[in-house]
Amino acid sequence: MSRHVYLDHNASTPIHPEVVAEMLPYFSEIFGNPSSIHAFGREARDGVDRARERVARFLRVSPQEIVFTSGGTESDNFAVKGLAAARGKGHLITSKVEHHAVLRTCQALEAQGFDVAYVGVDEHGMVNPDDVRRAIRPDTIAISIMHANSEVGTIQPIAAIGRIAREHGIPLHVDAVQTLGKVPLDLDAFGVDVLSFSGHKIYGPKGVAALWIRKGTRMVAIQHGGEHERRRRAGTENVPGIVGLGKAVEVRARDMHAEAERVTALRDRLIDGVCARVPEVRLSGHPTQRLPGTASFLVRHVESESIVLGLDLKGIGVSAGSACTAGNIEPSHVLVAMGVPLDWAMGAVRCSLGRSTTAEDIDYVIECVEPLVRKLRQAMPVGAA
Amino acid sequence: MRYSPTLVDHFLNPRNAGLMRDPDGIGEDEYEGCGDLTRFFLRVCDGRAVEVRFQTYGCGPTIAAASVASELCRGRTVDDLGHLEAEEIEGALEWLPQDRKHAAEIAAGALRAAARDHLSRGRRHV
Repeated sequence: MSRHVYLDHNASTPIHPEVVAEMLPYFSEIFGNPSSIHAFGREARDGVDRARERVARFLRVSPQEIVFTSGGTESDNFAVKGLAAARGKGHLITSKVEHHAVLRTCQALEAQGFDVAYVGVDEHGMVNPDDVRRAIRPDTIAISIMHANSEVGTIQPIAAIGRIAREHGIPLHVDAVQTLGKVPLDLDAFGVDVLSFSGHKIYGPKGVAALWIRKGTRMVAIQHGGEHERRRRAGTENVPGIVGLGKAVEVRARDMHAEAERVTALRDRLIDGVCARVPEVRLSGHPTQRLPGTASFLVRHVESESIVLGLDLKGIGVSAGSACTAGNIEPSHVLVAMGVPLDWAMGAVRCSLGRSTTAEDIDYVIECVEPLVRKLRQAMPVGAA
Repeated sequence: MRYSPTLVDHFLNPRNAGLMRDPDGIGEDEYEGCGDLTRFFLRVCDGRAVEVRFQTYGCGPTIAAASVASELCRGRTVDDLGHLEAEEIEGALEWLPQDRKHAAEIAAGALRAAARDHLSRGRRHV
């Protein structure tokens, strides 16, 4: 294998060297429990506090409003269940294209007696804020809409949805796992009350994430135990992870604007190259309101996993938008919600670029995709999908 | 790598892929709920498959299984192909992960169907 090209940054990212350097002492030298009152504990506590301040500075919020968690899934669970449980009963609104961390949490709440409205999206995967307005009932207790979709990259009109939530006095949770550190986030302008974000999507470590909870928002903890995180999330803090998340956010604050511009140009080079050279391929997601590094393609009449395997054998890492797992087909719920026909949806491939992606990488991918798809189609019964 | 070198080779370089004009037998099989589909075409002479071609829609192992099966069955009697088992195809691929066993099953199913189709036509090319 002559070359390695990683185009799966929406799945995970390599830890930034500056983040690694910041974390390393917290694995061995600074190992105390932040809850301990002796010097060992205080040193660890200082690291956690500094990380909290860094995240708060980036978001322009108070450090006390940040709660560290074990990952984006926990943050989403905490947000949705915490808002619901604080109100006891009622109706929630979310969209059909949310991450499963939100969708399945909502389904779990339905099993407990809550009502949930799942608003649809247009052909670009975008929520219509008026649909959210129409879904509001007198007993609506929370709205949860993601900032950007991880599969197709569409950025939702959060500011408009936030205005509607504010008008009705309904708390708004936003899953920003794919956007924090990639595109600007103005929590006040967006009218957000609770925000989920994660470390490993922004060149930080896995196993750490956070939830920002606007002061005054009624929430209850979903994990019980000690008094950690101001009694909002029990459990000894993942100190190296939290330190890493803090540093990763600080690095993103410095680098994100320049990187977004560079990565957007590479993304467009990839889109133009693939669409020009491969017949019957189209971009999925919104043409302009999309994540800087995300290019998702629909390759008609080719099964996406075979493309992923073929590119893998060329040293290229991308992800499939659909997966055949143990003989069960699972077309992406996002593409289904967008109304993408099955013969296109089954050939969904996502390329997500990042800070290490180069123009040479993109040209190599374009070179590899065209002959691979041509070869796969040669063995394919047209219309079989 | 999750797959054997033989599987990867057949996936990257499928043998006998494509349509056949006026075949002596056609058969296909689809994996329920998965959508993977394989179709075989047989050219038969003196009761033996002298030419085999296939089309398939599916993941890498499905393509590789059809390709390796197309080589396995050339020259064999149609009666023999009517009893082809997935295990033989899987063996030719060295191994398949548990969640990809269906690749060999639909290749075998499609070949058996093609053999049955030929036998039901009640004729032989000379």
